[in-house]
Amino acid sequence: MNRLPLSRVSRAVLVATLGLLAIPACSDDDDDRTFASANPDPGPGVPDSGTPDSGTPDSGTPDSGTVWPAEFSCTDAQRTTVTFNPGQEQALQNEVNELKPCTTIQLGAGTFRFDNAVTIRQDGITIVGAGRGAQGEGTGGTASTVLDFSNAASNTNGMDVIGKLFTVRDLALWNAKKDALRVENSANVFIQRIRTEWAQENNPDNGKYGIYPVKSRYVLVEDSEAYNAADAGIYVGQTRYTIVRRNIAKKNVAGIEIENTKYAYVEGNTAIDNTTGLVVFDLPGNPIKGTDILITKNIITGNNRPNFASVTTSSSTVSQVPAGTGTFILASRRVEFVGNTWGDNETVDIAVLSGLSIEPNPVLWAAAFYNFASADVSIHDNTFTGGSGGNIDHGAPSMTLRPLGFLMSNLYAYGKAVHGVERVEHVLWDGIDPYPRNETIANGVNICFVNNTLPASSKESVVDLDLMAVTAKLTATTPDPTGAWAETRRYNQGVAPFNCSGFSPALALP
Amino acid sequence: MRAPYMTRLGLAAVLFAAAVAACSGGNDDPPGGDNPPDSGNHDSGTPDAGDSGTPSTPDAGPDAGPDAGEPDAGVDAGTDAGTPDAGLPEGTVTIPNKLSELGLFTGSPATSDFQPVAGNIPYELTTPLFSDYSLKSRTLYVPAGKAAVYSASDVLDLPVGTIITKTFAFPADFREPDKNVRPLETRILVRQPGGWEAYPYVWNDALTEADKAVGGKVFKNFEFIDAQGVAKKFDYLVPQRNQCQKCHHVVDEQDNQQLLPIGVKARYLNRDHVYDGQTLNQLQHLADLGKLTGLPPAIQIPRAPDAFNTAEASLEIRARTYLDINCAHCHNPKAQPGITSRLFLDIKTTDEFSLGHCKRPGSAGNGVGGEFDIVPGDHSTSILWYRMNTEESGKMMPEIGRALRHDAGSQLIADWIDAMTPRTCK
Repeated sequence: MNRLPLSRVSRAVLVATLGLLAIPACSDDDDDRTFASANPDPGPGVPDSGTPDSGTPDSGTPDSGTVWPAEFSCTDAQRTTVTFNPGQEQALQNEVNELKPCTTIQLGAGTFRFDNAVTIRQDGITIVGAGRGAQGEGTGGTASTVLDFSNAASNTNGMDVIGKLFTVRDLALWNAKKDALRVENSANVFIQRIRTEWAQENNPDNGKYGIYPVKSRYVLVEDSEAYNAADAGIYVGQTRYTIVRRNIAKKNVAGIEIENTKYAYVEGNTAIDNTTGLVVFDLPGNPIKGTDILITKNIITGNNRPNFASVTTSSSTVSQVPAGTGTFILASRRVEFVGNTWGDNETVDIAVLSGLSIEPNPVLWAAAFYNFASADVSIHDNTFTGGSGGNIDHGAPSMTLRPLGFLMSNLYAYGKAVHGVERVEHVLWDGIDPYPRNETIANGVNICFVNNTLPASSKESVVDLDLMAVTAKLTATTPDPTGAWAETRRYNQGVAPFNCSGFSPALALP
Repeated sequence: MRAPYMTRLGLAAVLFAAAVAACSGGNDDPPGGDNPPDSGNHDSGTPDAGDSGTPSTPDAGPDAGPDAGEPDAGVDAGTDAGTPDAGLPEGTVTIPNKLSELGLFTGSPATSDFQPVAGNIPYELTTPLFSDYSLKSRTLYVPAGKAAVYSASDVLDLPVGTIITKTFAFPADFREPDKNVRPLETRILVRQPGGWEAYPYVWNDALTEADKAVGGKVFKNFEFIDAQGVAKKFDYLVPQRNQCQKCHHVVDEQDNQQLLPIGVKARYLNRDHVYDGQTLNQLQHLADLGKLTGLPPAIQIPRAPDAFNTAEASLEIRARTYLDINCAHCHNPKAQPGITSRLFLDIKTTDEFSLGHCKRPGSAGNGVGGEFDIVPGDHSTSILWYRMNTEESGKMMPEIGRALRHDAGSQLIADWIDAMTPRTCK
């Protein structure tokens, strides 16, 4: 099972790669920049059509201060609006393929049925429906617009966008063959009050992503819903500057995923009933080193859905996540969790992992300056409601499909039997970073866990799993659970070494 | 998440970790500051792994990119191919609603006399891109008084006003490929003053005219009988204008996608075609007509083999040719999917890892046959082969333009992978 161990990587490659470390980019440290004030402005002229979800605050709140820069803007003279109703799908398709900049496409209420993706390759485009409807609705009503891709040609996305100053709001994307909304290489993107959904639950052939802005800048995703995606309901990836707020993600493999992204503000979302609720990670080979992530006021509970992406020969990261993982962060840094609620996540509420746990060859992390290490994770003033960590991988662990869950399951079965540890602690750290592990330096990774509200039943709150040592002992020819358990360390909240006060400089909160 | 397997990492990893501790990736300006926003050129400064190991030959971009700003004083008179509108840059081709109005063809398929006009030169490729077994007929129109410029490795540098056409058709039964041939669409690529533009035209049911269809069209449940006599049924997708760019693009320095042709490269054009009963080399014919300059002696012109003619080249070269024409328009260092996946299947790439050997994909998704793009010696666990071979939505490659398996192509790549020195990739 060893994958590309370093010893097989040619010495020449190593030398060359080490040489790269010396280039001036190393001194180009921008981590001391202030965090952006999150205050996007969709710009004038965007029609504020009837809000189906009155009661939720609208965009523009809650902040003051600087505004994201606009990479494109529309003058009033440029703005035009075209309107389409159900039945005019081909006319709509013709229109979107010859759009002038700054066109608003108004979609009437009802169901639009497409046999191909809706592709947009223009700047300043707004597409607005009559409302996103409710979960489970595959057809539009009098106050909702559903774009139905059930009969679309195979291998097509739902809405497929490249453009600056793009807005989509008040509509639903139903049964897309691939991703429901894919926005790529774009800037100033406003995704507001939409719904992405597949009709069938737990179907590995559903599209991978619901809301999928990628390789973009200045992306807002708010007041939207995502259901039944076979990878992530809401994904923001390879992006700089994003706000993800007040969204609902349910019944996906991963509810909300922030990947290889810098400057993300993730507030007030609800991630329930996914395999894993809200995750932050970098993948190897990607040039953006994710950092400066604020996760606040989110509800991340009851994410125990069996991993329906987890089939043999899966190579995606989330396909290997054990069910019941509330949050995991991997190869991530400068992540602050404050004011969130976790509970009833059967494997663990929060796991903090090294990128080396999925790709042990550091050379393959070269594209983003060897960003495999997690560091600077501040978890403070959150609420843990309990009920988590007592039924790892929803009671169905698999060594071949989800090995981490399998190892944890074995380890905690021993811990329960011999030491009376009934549940995985609220925060699991794999004990890998900074690699290699140095037992004399406690908490070199700088995880801080303070001032959180814990259930009365909680014993220790943080576990240093020393996963490498545990793995070695549990997978030895003669497995050694006693020795494995002895490698782990458990800590109460408020005691060293996890009672630190965050990282410096702190995120500049909006 | 996988269990870690790092027991052998050792000192080198320590060095890495220590050395990079002070590094930060990227180079961003904070929003709202005095500085202008990130201009989009956000990848500068990161090492470009894809270029390592490949010779520093120019890529397709420079030659194929738009030559905007060139005054194009060449006389356009005497051609039927559109007339410049007042107010548009000189040389702009007006895109008509009907294919016939381009003046590049006479007759129609309805009367079996659909023919290119003189000056609209038919050509074939040595190995074509597979498109659901459709028969393709191609023409190249270069305006009077102008000529293409030869390039040894890139797309020919075609002048403003050039129109490339490709008509996609199916016979009812591939065992009789000349009978009951039904054209579905004709796509055109037009070299405008500002760059290339693409337009699909869909043939009407009477086959008397093809109408511009920028929104594309899906022929649901289209049927034909294949060369083995097996009935096939599938959704034939005429791409939308926006979807043309999915294959036909190169990412420029500003991170924008620019449209460009794919097949009109010397090595694919370097073959014979029958012109008025005379068998001629296509490139030489273009040169003889004054439509191509800079053509070197025949011996110096590269030639891609027919990927399915074992007499023409080795298995290795035939397989790489197939990948080049079918995959490399996306999987190259200057196209978006290549940039994202770091899998480069163009003929210039020599580095085995970039070609997919034991390369783990960034995000291939689930159930795509294996963990690595290519497991040398074993096509059955290679994702590259799996994605070519499958007809499952969301898993098959290319992303667009294929709904059916290309049996011969799939077999060629299987044979190629199986002939490699086996590695476990573990």
